[in-house]
Amino acid sequence: MSNTNSLLTIKDLHASVEEKQIIKGLDLDIKPGEVHAIMGPNGAGKSTLGYVLSGRDGYSVESGSVTLGGEDLLEMETEDRARAGLFLAFQYPVEIPGVSNLEFLKASVDAQREARGEDAITSADFLKEAKAACKQVNLPVAFLKRGVNEGFSGGEKKRNELMQMLLLKPKLCILDETDSGLDIDALQVVAEGVNSQRSADRSFIVVTHYQRLLDYIKPDFVHVLSDGKIVKSGDASLALELEAQGYAWLQKEPTEDELEG
Amino acid sequence: MSEWLESAITRAQGIHDWLAPKRAHALDLLAKTKWPTRKTEAWRYTPLRPVERTPAKMISDKVDLSPVAIADLSAIELVFVNGQFDPAQLANTLPEGLSIALGGDLESAQQADALNTFSTIKPERHIFGLVNDALAQDVVVVSVAEGVEIIQPIRISSLLSPGAESHTRVQVSLAAGSRLTVIEDVQAQGDSFNTAFVEYNVGTNARLEHYRFALQTGSNVAIGGSHFNLHDHAKMNSTIVGFGSELSRLDTDIIHAGEFADAKLNAMYLLDGKELFDLHATVEHAMPNGKTEENVRCIVADRSRAVFNGRIHIHRDAQKTLAELNNRNLLLSDKAEINTKPELEIYADDVKCAHGATVAQIDKQALYYLQTRGVSRSKAQVMLNFGFINELIDLMPNAALAEWIRPIIRERFAQMEVK
Repeated sequence: MSNTNSLLTIKDLHASVEEKQIIKGLDLDIKPGEVHAIMGPNGAGKSTLGYVLSGRDGYSVESGSVTLGGEDLLEMETEDRARAGLFLAFQYPVEIPGVSNLEFLKASVDAQREARGEDAITSADFLKEAKAACKQVNLPVAFLKRGVNEGFSGGEKKRNELMQMLLLKPKLCILDETDSGLDIDALQVVAEGVNSQRSADRSFIVVTHYQRLLDYIKPDFVHVLSDGKIVKSGDASLALELEAQGYAWLQKEPTEDELEG
Repeated sequence: MSEWLESAITRAQGIHDWLAPKRAHALDLLAKTKWPTRKTEAWRYTPLRPVERTPAKMISDKVDLSPVAIADLSAIELVFVNGQFDPAQLANTLPEGLSIALGGDLESAQQADALNTFSTIKPERHIFGLVNDALAQDVVVVSVAEGVEIIQPIRISSLLSPGAESHTRVQVSLAAGSRLTVIEDVQAQGDSFNTAFVEYNVGTNARLEHYRFALQTGSNVAIGGSHFNLHDHAKMNSTIVGFGSELSRLDTDIIHAGEFADAKLNAMYLLDGKELFDLHATVEHAMPNGKTEENVRCIVADRSRAVFNGRIHIHRDAQKTLAELNNRNLLLSDKAEINTKPELEIYADDVKCAHGATVAQIDKQALYYLQTRGVSRSKAQVMLNFGFINELIDLMPNAALAEWIRPIIRERFAQMEVK
């Protein structure tokens, strides 16, 4: 199964939070440029996957392996994972009063450029880039001066996440329930932003409960996550099937063979 | 009684001027006051040894000192050099409706008014306030006429040569409906000793914007107070920024003497080395419908010590009072010390009064969020710690002052983090 072309390879991952096992043998292989949607009922472990991959404190991996671009992701500190090209767009972005959005963005970009051995970007050049990114995600430029996510509406926070993605140019973006709390207009803005970033060397994991987001961000693959494992995989049509059926059929606990058979 | 206080009293007995009755009263009280020790509640965490052994002396020779320039700030400068008012640094013409004069030079009616209010806002319990009552030679009186808005801020600077002793005093009065911004600043050069007190009488519907920068560090002893009396519908917004020194002590008193008064106090202090900074903030809600919001934040590094005592006293008649006191502290070293004590005394039954005091590490969620963007843990910690103070800088109403103080605090913060 190991593929040298893969960007992300997860093998038999078991992970827990506060002693409770949430991920129970998850396998996933993502090649550059692919968009994978992960769907599933509440409590299936969708958000946990993003936290485990980004290395959040309190989320411990018991067994299995994860490689990003061939490197062992699980051995890295959270910031090194980001520098290696991993980006997690949060379902609930954190408010940080007292740290301006611009300072935060510049520190992030500086850290990643430094890690790649690139020269630091001047403040003036960065401001130009940041303003352009603001425009692209439809946020007023004044938001650069405000505290990180401080007092932003749900939609503004999601657009701020998207702006970070535009500036950081990651290899793998995990969008954690990016559609939650967004009205249809905000959803379109975010989806357009994501689509503009799709390219042959950038991959996405789109974590969502609803099919709605996938109308705008067309996935190459759809996986159903239930009780910590991927129980079914397919193409975009699987999302439509799920939309029609709901997740109730998962409660019957069918075996993987039955599902894939 | 300490030798230092005895000699201060002796010196004060030689002063005879328009404030004679007030000075005599202060000396009377001082004679009856016990020199504070560790058992004196108001000085429990702030030993007075640095006062007792201060080498500072009164310097009567004229010294040329002027306050540091602040970019984009054009202030009316009220300057004391080694305790003496320097009229040469005051603008020749003041905006209409504003008067700034030595109390001794006032016309008799105004002088009588100034005498009447002197030391009525500052409570008598402050021992160094009494010292200042008795020893402040040049008492300056600032008044704004009814309904007048003074756009230019007044900056009161107390400048000290190395080894100088100084006692400065300003009485500020805002008549009904007037508006004024006052900046208090002490700049001392080492081994100095100063007491700097200002009393503010904020009239009906008047607005006071206030700043106090206590940025002296090192071997200075700096003791002072800012005391506010708020009449009906008066509003005040005060920002205090403190770095510690061998001994820095600041007392603020906010008195809601009228109804519907509104007070905001944001204080931040950053201490390093073996510095000490002690802030005692007292709010007296004597009348109904008043509002107070206090935010006090402190970061201590190395072996420094911070003291905060936040007292809110809601009197029996002060119904419908809204009072909030929030004190948050960050420890950067396990040898640093924070002594914080909220004191709420509430005698009215229909009030909202909230308080909180925390001594904490930084927000883990925010730390993780920054790390997921590639920012190293250590850099993220610095950003968040600075953000903790920066939040209050962002609230400063005067942009020129905020942009002046921000890099100064950032610089100090960087030094604190290095250790």
